[in-house]
Amino acid sequence: MTMQRRSEHIPFLLPALLVTAVVVLYPALQTVWLSLHHFVLFDPDNIRFVGLGNFADILLRDELFWISLGNSLVWVVAAVGLQFLLGLVTALLLNQTFWGRSVARALVVVPWALPSVIIGLMWTWMYDLNLGVFNDMLLRAGLIDAPVAWLAQPSTALGAVILALVWQGFPFFTVMILAGLQTIPATHYEAAAMDGATRWQMLRYITLPALREVIATALLLRMIWVANSLDVILVMTGGGPGYTTHTLPLYAFLKAYSGMEFGYASALSLLMTLLLLVVVATYVRRVARSALA
Amino acid sequence: MKRRTLMTYSAAAIAAPMIGRVQAQAPTTVRWWYHFDNPQASPAELVAKFEKENPGVKVQAESIPWGGGNDYYTRLYAALVAGNGPDCAMVKLGNQSRLLQMKALEPLDGMIDKWSGKSDIAPNLWKMHQANDGKAYYLPLQYVVLYLYYRTDLFQAAGVQPPRTFDDFLKAALAVNKGDVAAFGMRGGGGGHDHWGSFVLGGGATFDSGGMVTPKALAANRWFVELGTRHKLFPASAPTDGFRQIVDNFKAGRTAMTIHHIGSANEMVQALGDKVSAVPVPMGPDGKGWTSFGDESNAVFAASKAKEAAFRWASFLSSADNNVAFNAFTGQLTVSTSGAAKWNLHPKRFVDATAASTGLMGTLPNDTKTADFTRTVWPQQMQRALLGQITPDAMMQAIEKHFHG
Repeated sequence: MTMQRRSEHIPFLLPALLVTAVVVLYPALQTVWLSLHHFVLFDPDNIRFVGLGNFADILLRDELFWISLGNSLVWVVAAVGLQFLLGLVTALLLNQTFWGRSVARALVVVPWALPSVIIGLMWTWMYDLNLGVFNDMLLRAGLIDAPVAWLAQPSTALGAVILALVWQGFPFFTVMILAGLQTIPATHYEAAAMDGATRWQMLRYITLPALREVIATALLLRMIWVANSLDVILVMTGGGPGYTTHTLPLYAFLKAYSGMEFGYASALSLLMTLLLLVVVATYVRRVARSALA
Repeated sequence: MKRRTLMTYSAAAIAAPMIGRVQAQAPTTVRWWYHFDNPQASPAELVAKFEKENPGVKVQAESIPWGGGNDYYTRLYAALVAGNGPDCAMVKLGNQSRLLQMKALEPLDGMIDKWSGKSDIAPNLWKMHQANDGKAYYLPLQYVVLYLYYRTDLFQAAGVQPPRTFDDFLKAALAVNKGDVAAFGMRGGGGGHDHWGSFVLGGGATFDSGGMVTPKALAANRWFVELGTRHKLFPASAPTDGFRQIVDNFKAGRTAMTIHHIGSANEMVQALGDKVSAVPVPMGPDGKGWTSFGDESNAVFAASKAKEAAFRWASFLSSADNNVAFNAFTGQLTVSTSGAAKWNLHPKRFVDATAASTGLMGTLPNDTKTADFTRTVWPQQMQRALLGQITPDAMMQAIEKHFHG
């Protein structure tokens, strides 16, 4: 390709690049600028450059950052892992032929379509100590002797919020995997059946390898989204009890919108972005590779 | 009269109605931000009444999501910093200090002195709204005083009277704390500092430097935390319970007492009838008490180009009948003395409990750190103390550190 031909496409890309610069690059650069400043929204006369001071404070002196980072890791691994498993099982079921399959396929996306705030409120009341349906069912089934304060106990709060997020997010995996399943030729299974393969062997040696690309892409995307999400936690526990469900995005949010410390909150966000860049880079590399293939 | 003077007067006489018409065509617009708990409530009728009485002024009332205070104030601060703030807005005392630091507030003393409704607002209300520099930046709009709700049926069954002191409270609480009923619906989530304040600030803690870590303050906090950890008088969900939970648990008979204000009285009575009543929060060992004064005012912003018109609208809302009408849909109390005389929006026993509580009412410090204290620091530290993750003393040290380093 000559230099002239190589540059021909630039005018076509320019509008998209301009929009990206305005809505992505500018806010990102502003976040970097803010992170290097003492910037408190209600103290506009005292904005000053502090260099890497915010980062040093976070990494060396802020115990809550490390607690939030630990919670975030548990949050991402557990939520995405369980969403994937539930999504895979549901997709395999919905790929079978049964009466009402179309309706079931449509209904399964309902949690994904609901706003996160609604999901947070709904699950908060389902977990409620006195009025919640979970305690009522477990009491009636004789599995517990007394109602459990699911969201107020450190031993159950994070798990309870993760479960709500699993319910919200598994349809994404279901839809992605179901689409992937449609692309596997039936002849593969017929041949395997003739060779005497069990259902588990078909799953292990045909289905999962064929879905590898879809699963990897879905996992990477979902990890980025879940790592960034805070709405369900904010509604259900606000990070409590204590710091039990306090994750990094929630910490940055509270620093910005409760403490109004936008400089510190930007530094927290940037650190989180750096951690996520590992996942993002993997995703981008995969997408680029498949585009070139 | 000289010819030139005559011409000038004539021109002025001709131009005067035209100027009037120009003004009539371009009325001053006042942008006002407000938040109501009930999204169905609308100030449209009051706006129409005001505009009829003030033909040159239009009010653009903008409902801003409250979001526990975070949403509202973040938007307000951001709008003010960006130079796109409203002319006036509903504001609370807890944010006055931050707004002053931003130099966002217009002093209203001059306009208030000329306002005919000034004397209809009680002197102690004016005093409570005064800023640290002695000036008035807020025009009171509504208020509540927190008191103790109690279930008359559960108290009668246990043979106890509503408490007047901390000792009474503990005795009564231990008596009603049976089976599924927890004695006190404690609010450990956002906004719960009001519950804590009644017992810990009422027990001797203060926000002055060192005031959270005096022996008396530490003892008061230990006593309060132990109501939950040792005596088990709070529901297990207390660490994260918010407004909805404490009200619903009380209505469902899961708790026998809780602390809130008259804003929830009608809902309580609708569910419980005569089985609910209220008294002032109990007094501490030294005969003093503390209860939260919940305020809401209007402020006019320094950057406004329509300050006089904005004040006219704000003062309209704080005037007798208009203020009663305003509070009819916020469920709180009128700041107007003449309006209070004909108040009939709540059952009398709750109005009486409010009146009896005014001697105890206090406010959180007018400090830039107060808002973060109520929204983040207090809930986190309180929850950790209730769960045994930190000691009650460590909780008080964290609060002391937040305010005084």
